[in-house]
Amino acid sequence: MSQAQSHGSIKGAGLGLKRELLPQIQAAHGTDLTQSLDFVEIAPENWIGAGGKYARQLAWFTERYPIVCHGLCLSLGGPDALNEAFLRQVKQFLDQHQIPLYTEHLSYCSDGGYLYDLLPIPFTEEAVHHVAARIRRTQDILERRIAVENASFYVAAPIAEMDEASFIRAVLQEADCDLHLDINNIYVNSVNFGFDPHAFLREMPGERIAYAHIAGHDQEADDLIIDTHGQDVIDPVWQLLREAYALFGVFPTLLERDTNIPPLADAMQEVNHIASLQAAQRNRAQQAAVHGVDPKRVSA
Amino acid sequence: MSTLESKALPLFQQYQQTFTAHIRQPRQHARPAGVSARRMQVYNEIVFNNFFSAVSACYPVLQRVMGKRAWQALVRRFFAEHQATSPFFRDIPKAFLEFLPNVETLPPFAHSLAHYEWIELAIAADDSIAPALTAEGDLLHGVPILAPALAVLAYDYPVQKISTRFKPQAPLPEPVHLLVFRNQQDEVKFMEMNAITARLLQLLQPGQMTGLAALQQLGLEIGHAETAALVSFGGALLEDLRQQQIVWGIAA
Repeated sequence: MSQAQSHGSIKGAGLGLKRELLPQIQAAHGTDLTQSLDFVEIAPENWIGAGGKYARQLAWFTERYPIVCHGLCLSLGGPDALNEAFLRQVKQFLDQHQIPLYTEHLSYCSDGGYLYDLLPIPFTEEAVHHVAARIRRTQDILERRIAVENASFYVAAPIAEMDEASFIRAVLQEADCDLHLDINNIYVNSVNFGFDPHAFLREMPGERIAYAHIAGHDQEADDLIIDTHGQDVIDPVWQLLREAYALFGVFPTLLERDTNIPPLADAMQEVNHIASLQAAQRNRAQQAAVHGVDPKRVSA
Repeated sequence: MSTLESKALPLFQQYQQTFTAHIRQPRQHARPAGVSARRMQVYNEIVFNNFFSAVSACYPVLQRVMGKRAWQALVRRFFAEHQATSPFFRDIPKAFLEFLPNVETLPPFAHSLAHYEWIELAIAADDSIAPALTAEGDLLHGVPILAPALAVLAYDYPVQKISTRFKPQAPLPEPVHLLVFRNQQDEVKFMEMNAITARLLQLLQPGQMTGLAALQQLGLEIGHAETAALVSFGGALLEDLRQQQIVWGIAA
């Protein structure tokens, strides 16, 4: 079984970089407010080839924080040829800014042209082979392992041949890549499709987790959550994160907030909460080690 | 795509094709069989709305001038018909600009206005870097270096004045010359110029000619015989351009 590699500088608690938050983080750098901010995440599609103030902002962050690239438009499950010219730009970008990790979504966003949104891949055998081959090719071009994220979605394909957890496991195994575990997406899908999120979590291959996402969402109806990343993280999602640490050991975890962006101080409260859950798990693991129980991974 | 080709696709890709065709044109293409209309509607809305926001953010004036309903219909048509080739979000407005000539029913100034709105985004994110230069230096005998993110523009409509209360229906007798550039603080600046200044900047932009050579070339083009007067006027003009950070110095 393959173990997710450690990405060196990527550890602890992180925050997704939204343009609205950049000046606030820059102003708060070095103060107590951002003390628990260990790494940040950017979408390469927003930064590759951008000059001027964007290049200056990026340089400011690369000098001060470890960065992860979390892609949006690779369309791993899409019908078009893999965009290898784009991947070579990503490679150059990762090298230039010494970014250790690139992750993408287990979804697609194109149909001959880009639609720029994350659409659900039907969970079929053929889709597993298609996606896994494209992940392998991506890893070849980037000359590194990537991690893919379990996506949130709203429509279950009636042609599915397996459940989502089986699909994720099959793709990761066939591609031999890491898992970018999105805790919120597990919860969103559990409501949208009526399954037990705890059982789903236990089915995830913990040894492949590179890092995790946590976020809030908008509950539209009892049986429908829209994954807006526009609200505070809710307790059941925090509970899932706590449980994931207990199951798989502590891993780096990042807060995503993409709409309805609050002041940095509010977002940092949630980043601080990630850090406190990680510390609590490490303490528990240490206690357990003293008593001779398997301490799991405590390295993050 | 023909039925024959469609049959050759794996089942999951046939499903995806139906799925996205419906998102692009919900009225023309049925959703996949067995999928709930209510859930499918979530995708119809979020995919179009995200796309709509990306386009609209770049074109605040054009959308106001066209009105909400016409704008919505235009972006909807773009969304349905256009096959975007770039994975970069900032290229969505550019693709929209390139799509506009396909639309017959727009106001006559729409394309010029759209270009003028788009150029702000393009100049803000332009990743050109200035060559090695000396900020001080003789702009007549040296080769002036312009701001690397800079566009010298000419439009047949006064795009800088268009608003909901001013919608020109006929082109100008002479084009309006506009300059858009990024200064050394990375702020995007706009300026109206006369034709002479516009031509001088065009001559200088490649970074090949000395200020003097550019002014002499300009003199020939406009049939100005008095070189001394032109050089004196031009020298002052170049200094003024340097003050405004349009000229950043001379080539090192």
